[in-house]
Amino acid sequence: MTIYAVERLSLRIGDAAILHDIGFEVRRGACTALVGASGSGKSMSCFAPFGLAAGKASGSARLDGAELIGLDEPALRPLRARAGFAFQQPATALSPHLTIGRQLREAVVAGGAPSPDRRALAAMLDRVGIARPDARLDSWPHRLSGGERQRVMIAAAVAHDPILLVADEPTSALDAPLRHAILDLIDRLRQDGMAVLLVSHDLPLVALHADQVAVLQAGRVVESGAARQILSRPLTAETRALVAASPSLDTPGPALPPTGAPLLAAQGIDVTVAGRGWRAPQVTLVEDASFTIAEGEALALAGRSGSGKSTLARAVARLGPMTDGELRWRGEIVPGRDRMAAGFRKAVQPVFQDPVASLDPHWTVAASIAEPLRHLCPELDAAARAARVDALLEEVELGRGFADRRPAELSGGQAQRVAIARALAAGPELILLDEATSALDVLVAGRILSLLQRLQADRNLAILMITHDLAVARSLCHRLAVMEAGKIVEQGPFDRMLSTPGHPATRHLLGT
Amino acid sequence: MKGALFLVAAIAVAALLLPPFLPWGYADIDWNAVRAAPFSSGHWLGTDSVGRDLLARTLAGTRVTLAVASAAALVALLIGTAWGAIAGWFGGRVDEAMMRVVDGLYALPFMFVVIVLMVVFGRSILLVFLGIGAVEWLTMARVVRGQVLALRHRPFILASEAAGAPTGAILRGHLLPNVAPVAIAYLMLTIPQVVMVESFLSFLGLGVQEPLTSLGILVHDGADDMDIAPLTLLVPGAVLVALVVALNRIGEGLRQRLAR
Repeated sequence: MTIYAVERLSLRIGDAAILHDIGFEVRRGACTALVGASGSGKSMSCFAPFGLAAGKASGSARLDGAELIGLDEPALRPLRARAGFAFQQPATALSPHLTIGRQLREAVVAGGAPSPDRRALAAMLDRVGIARPDARLDSWPHRLSGGERQRVMIAAAVAHDPILLVADEPTSALDAPLRHAILDLIDRLRQDGMAVLLVSHDLPLVALHADQVAVLQAGRVVESGAARQILSRPLTAETRALVAASPSLDTPGPALPPTGAPLLAAQGIDVTVAGRGWRAPQVTLVEDASFTIAEGEALALAGRSGSGKSTLARAVARLGPMTDGELRWRGEIVPGRDRMAAGFRKAVQPVFQDPVASLDPHWTVAASIAEPLRHLCPELDAAARAARVDALLEEVELGRGFADRRPAELSGGQAQRVAIARALAAGPELILLDEATSALDVLVAGRILSLLQRLQADRNLAILMITHDLAVARSLCHRLAVMEAGKIVEQGPFDRMLSTPGHPATRHLLGT
Repeated sequence: MKGALFLVAAIAVAALLLPPFLPWGYADIDWNAVRAAPFSSGHWLGTDSVGRDLLARTLAGTRVTLAVASAAALVALLIGTAWGAIAGWFGGRVDEAMMRVVDGLYALPFMFVVIVLMVVFGRSILLVFLGIGAVEWLTMARVVRGQVLALRHRPFILASEAAGAPTGAILRGHLLPNVAPVAIAYLMLTIPQVVMVESFLSFLGLGVQEPLTSLGILVHDGADDMDIAPLTLLVPGAVLVALVVALNRIGEGLRQRLAR
């Protein structure tokens, strides 16, 4: 039985046509996934019929037989209450000043039901797989982990027993093992007969859980059908790109260039910082971490968020505090952060997670790329610098036409290429990639990753890569070090770590 | 915002350039025309209770008020930006200590402090500048500190450090240009505030001294005579209101446009 059917759905915002003739349906107890790169219109297709998106929708969308398109807000509200919505960012979608129990109760009451008692609320948390549900009712959102928050979001979305659950990228903010756990939870909800409409950019992941998939590009459905079939025999280039772009641990490791002499050796690194307030105790972020990186070698530093991997990497790049320990570059001791010599700065360059925030909004692309040249290569004059900037823009596949643009005129992927060009400008031997692809959508991240692979081979670059996604690290790295609670708990060759993970934290990251 | 800019510019230009072309100076007393009506005996807007030309006095008062306001806002900009930038940049205990000083000064009833200063050191226009500037920088310091704190850990500042830029170059190249829009917009909102404070002090008789005048004094004097010569209140009052409203509009417009 079809719960929700969309036919010939179009959406216009002002003069711009956002969606063209979208069609899909969700059956009782089944899951349909809308998949596409960012900007393909998948979220708009979900929200426009319910009056939750800007613009004017036309066509047809029937929820349990009732037409949604063309209704005004008061008429739409009772129909909307028959669906439940879960959003991408559980951290921002939960109100920070209300306990979990209060938020759930609000969700139920807003759905039109009488106020539930405590036992009913605890049962809702139990339904989404939260341990000790009764105690959790009194918790504040910030006490919950990312996965638990997403479960609470889903609990709130299904609190009033909707017939349709609309989940917009429910797993994108989570690491690999949690993604499967959340999708398993959604699968369980379907057994009670709920229909699920899932939005994602990760085609291989959702294809494992969905029955039907519709692939969107530029506001049109380019391919739709049974999930297995789309994944195994994609017909369009867009679908093939989405399948290929999502890195997987199952694919064999890449052929990496051999490594050379030791480059960077970190021994017993500690980082402690002062707590908040005047006399607060010290907080230990990294404890006794040791690792080495050789010429041309790539080391992945993985761990869940808050495990101290960024702090450690910034300490060894001399961009953050370091309390104790020894850092050697080609056998020589590296001086402290405030006494940095140009030699080491030149050798180690960072690329950060948020591409737009890593460029000064007032500076042109050329000025940003030239910044390390001005400070670290004073022998170059203005003309030589400009020539270097042009060459770097070519190297990151942007072209010199980008030189005079400002960050506001760049897409996320383009901005990240500029940040990579800046990191390469002074001719470093080691680059630090701090979650360099995680803020980008899957297609763009795939292209940045292949650019990095090419640079790694062309320049014999050593890489220190910080990530929570082992599949991304796999395509670039020789070795893997896993961090938990400020300590490196296990490290070794990537393939060995994958086949025989020793520490529970490693197994957690592998999702086993 | 365009209209407001034009209005402020017109008032400022008139106050600065027009007085030499008037037949009367702001201190000249025309004994033949005390409380003269507008357009009588050569006084376009009439005269006040001792026969001084109202137009000349309004222009002179506007000039003084604008000078006090600009100077005090400039003091606020310099001290406030430096104080806030240092506190935000170094953070930790430096920040704690510097911001507690600001909190302490905030707690003083500042109008009272300015009045005490006037009474102790006597009335002088310099003291008006200093007194107002010394309290107006507090909010500026807070605004700038907040901006610097938010910018301090942005990746582009870190990337600049990684690019080998010395601290001075980071402050000049990245930090100040990103703080400037907010500071300038806030400065524009400070000026009307200072105009009000100065007018209030002058109204109380603690501002500039006769025969020099300011909009506040003119409003005060006009208020005494409003039943006989309403224009002596209405003209400087209208200029004051126009200035404050227009400057506020400019500041708010700049804030929305620049501060995102």
